Amino acid sequence: MPPPLMPNFNNSVKLKYVKLGYQYLINHFLTFTLLPITLTLLLQLRYSPDEYLRLWNSLRFDFVHVLCSAFLIIMISTTYFTSKSHSVYLVNYACFKPPRACRAPFSTFMEHSKLILNSEPKSVDFQMKILERSGLGEETCLPIAIHFIPPSPTLEASGGEAELVIFSAMDSLFEKTGIKPNDVHILIVNCSLFSPTPSLSAMVINKYKMRGNVKSYNLSGMGCSAGLISIDLARDLLQVHKNSNAIVVSTEIITPNYYQGKERSMLVPNCLFRMGGAAVLLSNRRTFRTQAKYRLLHVVRTQKGADDKAFRCVYEEEDREGKVGISLSKDLMAIAGVALKSNITTLGPLVLPTSEQLLFLISLISRKIFNPKGKPYIPDFKQAFEHFCIHAGGRAVIDELQKNLQLSAEHVEASRMTLHRFGNTSSSSLWYELSYIEAKGRMKRGDRVWQIAFGSGFKCNSAVWKCMSSVETMGNNGPWDDCIDRYPVYIPEVVKL
Amino acid sequence: MDHCILLLYFLPLLFIFLIFKIVYQKRHQGCYILDYQCYKPTDDRMLSTEFSGELIMRNKNLGLDEYKFLLKAIVSSGIGEQTYGPRSVFAGRERNPKHEDGIHEMEEFFDSIDVLLKRAQVSPSEIDVLVVNVSMLASVPSLSSRIISMYKMREDIKSYNLSGMGCSASLVSINVVENIFKSQKNLNALVVTTESLSPNSYSGNERSMILADCLFRSGGCAILLTNKPSLRNKAMFKLKCLVRTHHGGREESYNCCIQKEDHAGKLGFHLDKTLPMAATRAFIDNFKEASPKILPILEKLRFALLSFRRKIIKSSNNAGAKPVIDFKTGVDHFCLHTGGKAVIEGIGKSLGLDEYDLEPSRMTLHRFGNTSASSLWYVLGYMEAKKRLKKGDKVFMISFGAGFKCNSCLWEVIRDLNGDGNAWNECIESYPRKNLANPFLEKFGWIQNEDISTFKYPE
Repeated sequence: MPPPLMPNFNNSVKLKYVKLGYQYLINHFLTFTLLPITLTLLLQLRYSPDEYLRLWNSLRFDFVHVLCSAFLIIMISTTYFTSKSHSVYLVNYACFKPPRACRAPFSTFMEHSKLILNSEPKSVDFQMKILERSGLGEETCLPIAIHFIPPSPTLEASGGEAELVIFSAMDSLFEKTGIKPNDVHILIVNCSLFSPTPSLSAMVINKYKMRGNVKSYNLSGMGCSAGLISIDLARDLLQVHKNSNAIVVSTEIITPNYYQGKERSMLVPNCLFRMGGAAVLLSNRRTFRTQAKYRLLHVVRTQKGADDKAFRCVYEEEDREGKVGISLSKDLMAIAGVALKSNITTLGPLVLPTSEQLLFLISLISRKIFNPKGKPYIPDFKQAFEHFCIHAGGRAVIDELQKNLQLSAEHVEASRMTLHRFGNTSSSSLWYELSYIEAKGRMKRGDRVWQIAFGSGFKCNSAVWKCMSSVETMGNNGPWDDCIDRYPVYIPEVVKL
Repeated sequence: MDHCILLLYFLPLLFIFLIFKIVYQKRHQGCYILDYQCYKPTDDRMLSTEFSGELIMRNKNLGLDEYKFLLKAIVSSGIGEQTYGPRSVFAGRERNPKHEDGIHEMEEFFDSIDVLLKRAQVSPSEIDVLVVNVSMLASVPSLSSRIISMYKMREDIKSYNLSGMGCSASLVSINVVENIFKSQKNLNALVVTTESLSPNSYSGNERSMILADCLFRSGGCAILLTNKPSLRNKAMFKLKCLVRTHHGGREESYNCCIQKEDHAGKLGFHLDKTLPMAATRAFIDNFKEASPKILPILEKLRFALLSFRRKIIKSSNNAGAKPVIDFKTGVDHFCLHTGGKAVIEGIGKSLGLDEYDLEPSRMTLHRFGNTSASSLWYVLGYMEAKKRLKKGDKVFMISFGAGFKCNSCLWEVIRDLNGDGNAWNECIESYPRKNLANPFLEKFGWIQNEDISTFKYPE
């Protein structure tokens, strides 16, 4: 009844203002203390205009003095500029837009599954259950070789998929940024499960006739968080190579890795992984400062391989019939939670405002001294970031992170919609999500974005970016162009098939 | 304003401070090899001539012509009797290897990491950077994760797993470490380089593809690097420069060494006839960029003067001999990738090297075969075991790889090395061998005389 509700409402409002007041006080602590001091000093130094004139005339502009002062200024500025680390700018990025011919709607997928696994109706049912609860939509795409019945995963077909995905993304990137292939100094390609010799990076260099002293690196096997590992490597390289452009290509080639057996734990990736890829241009050139979209603030990597259970939770192995597939252990969510905790423990002090850090410290001390069984205080990351890009690994991952970090539905909307429209595109999913936020016109200058991804091994990597320019929704030329108006869609818990 | 005069005294201090800062930074940017360990597989994995012959005969797709071709190739390969093969070959499973075979092959090699860490007295939790390169194996979780799991390394380790980068990948890994060392201080790095042979046997009959199986052998190396100035005196080598050249932009170079399917759809590694030419082209470009960094000033001046003189004389139609760079003024030892006898001899001729310089590479090819990316380290091990490496010596490494890449680097020896715990220790006494011919011709030479109409497969 109304009367009991009213006090609660009042309380919560008061609490909100108290919290706001506290944050303002702590975050601007220095201003609050220094402002009165400076004001009083200025008041003390009140001079009349005559006194100022006398002070000015008494300065002797001797040649030696001028030289010394100039020298001093130059020295201080050189020391400052040489000790600063080079800023890494994300000039632009392009996501691969799969052709409509590669669409794999539910009906196609299930029909396919029934034909291939016709001797195992239980496995077919299992796949249907996974698909119903997966959060994927009807427009996700699988490569052409997988549409064949049975799938034909030859090296040539895999190479074909790689060329389609990577070259489309790179062409689009060159067009958007206006740089020439000859102007690329560093190239990093990451693709987990397809690694031909010569590498995919050599394939890119061959196609675009890049320069002879391009530094190329081809990372493989590093899972869905490999995109952020490549960004970390690019950042380290850009600290050493001045005035350079680095291109990072993140993709996952599905053709050779479609599991053709009947082991249940290995059928799950078939239902979730879809075709996708992204190419990102990073640079430390000052000329790109005005053109760049984002600036890289932090990259934090956590590797939980030392724990055996974590190491085995995403594992490639042969099933009883000798068919190779990736098995996902049932402890995946729990292990992801532990890895996330380690990662945010390192990331927190770097990004959280002082108010949150202080609260965390107080809660830690009080737990240690007064109440060991108390719940740990989870810092409010919404104050450190305006946007969140959570790797669209699967519905469960997004749900788990939303709960752990206490995020609202709008914060995880980008991840959920990417999962719906493109499926789990592995390392490139973060870039589709960023593209969604931009296409929705939500990105403003000064906004901070947190990209977080998990991967086999077990890894949890995060990157923090700061937006440098207001991104227009029109002419963005991204993968969401033709469908952004339909989003967000409501994704039911279970889609009845 | 006497304050300005005070500034005058302050300035030299600032100057000194600036110089000190630059020196401090440079000290922390050096890339030193603390120690390295080459892998020596167990003796039950040795591929003798008899067994190699048997292996070839096992491939029922090959005919007499292919046998003759292979015989010619193997006889002139320079590979000896004691090279090592993967276990799946000995178990008869080379045509249908299990997924586990590839993984076990790698895990057996990881013993070298144990030996290395114990000898260098570095615990796995002190490793800050891990770079693994294996060209022909991509597994989930990656090999770098596998190593982290086996040795319980730290959570915040920077790990990278490179693959598909061919036989020059170990220098690419060193490049990654070199760059990370320049941007962060006080790090230890572990580079693990090897090749996976089990899953990559070719079962078809394309000539360009059957060759790969006969030349590649098992091997690997683990290298411990650091940029800590305090460990400088314990280190073995210091990196002076590293140059990478990539000819992927040229069609002929890109396609000369490529993994593909033959007409029957069988996966194999294609080695084209134009490979030596592509290698030469890449080598020349790499050489152009590396030589100014490696040669001492006197040599550069001498070459410049001679070229200038020749240009002047040329105009009067009486040109003398073309001036040749004497590479040996800047380099004392040469580690050439043991891609094959032809490769070693080709580079030897280009650089004007004699028997003494080519001996380590030739002997490595004979004893360990072409171990792909790790071959350079076996060559280095030979030199160390023969006590050739003295303080201040310069060692030049050059390797080629699919793509087409040519990578080279120059190491300076920090202290006199005597090769403790080296993979060569047990057999170094019997080297150098004068006679490098393998018994293939004796045992299988009869194939040359066979006629295709009367040829019957030996059982």
